[in-house]
Amino acid sequence: MRVEYINPFVEAAYNVLSEVLGVEIKRGNLYLKSATKSVMGVAAIVGLAGEVEGRVLFDMSKVTAIKIASAMNMEELKEFDDLAKATITELANMITAQAVTKLHDLGFRFDLTPPALISGDNMEVSDQEVEALIVPMESELGNIEINVAVRERG
Amino acid sequence: MKTKVDFPTINERPPEGTRPDGSPFRVLIVDDSMFVTKQIGQILTSEGFDVVGTAGDGEEGLEKYKQLFPNVDLVTMDITMPKMDGVTALEKIIQFDKNAKVVMISALGKQDLVKKSLLLGAKNYIVKPLDRKKVLERVVHSLQS
Repeated sequence: MRVEYINPFVEAAYNVLSEVLGVEIKRGNLYLKSATKSVMGVAAIVGLAGEVEGRVLFDMSKVTAIKIASAMNMEELKEFDDLAKATITELANMITAQAVTKLHDLGFRFDLTPPALISGDNMEVSDQEVEALIVPMESELGNIEINVAVRERG
Repeated sequence: MKTKVDFPTINERPPEGTRPDGSPFRVLIVDDSMFVTKQIGQILTSEGFDVVGTAGDGEEGLEKYKQLFPNVDLVTMDITMPKMDGVTALEKIIQFDKNAKVVMISALGKQDLVKKSLLLGAKNYIVKPLDRKKVLERVVHSLQS
């Protein structure tokens, strides 16, 4: 997978998380995963289709999701309710929009699906023939993994 | 102690959401995200605006505007929504009331749609992520135009 696809997502996630959470965000080390990977508990997924195709997953534990939603709403949410879900979806929206703007500026042409939110225990994600690159983002609210699996349309 | 005389209320300023006579500006929020609706609502009500209605898509937004008219001063309109998008809803609201004041709420990367909205008669736009200063500045400016 070409690194050009990844950097915009890393930068956008860093910028948006810093801005909306108001806490320090640290980039962890990138790693590649080609096989099935477990999902932490809450995942917002956005599909890409066009000259490049694939998907981006924003993956975090339910505890982290509630903490992030609480910070963004400036009130303590007790559970992963509809408001928390709408908040995490909006977070995924903002990060993706910023990343895609950069990718469009670099000349890549593709469309996006609206984010879908999935949550549950013991989930896994499998990508056929596309390796996923994982970018961990660490903060005092917990870790978010940006899991990007995209390729050029053959 | 005559506190009011001893300490002039230099910090007092009129809230931005009210007219000089004290009556609030009335706002309709159209957005499919519960989070964004709440965020805009909180920012506006804290400045004295009255959120008179909310809608989750363009179709409902248009209906609500017609119901509320003429007792609505401003609409915040998301662009990407199910059923009817914000640009179409804006167009229909302007057809119904050519003096309607609509502020578009946009994700980054939708410059073409924002431009189209401004040509169709939107007063202003705000790019997400939203913050208090940005929202109040654009909303107040649109009400004055």
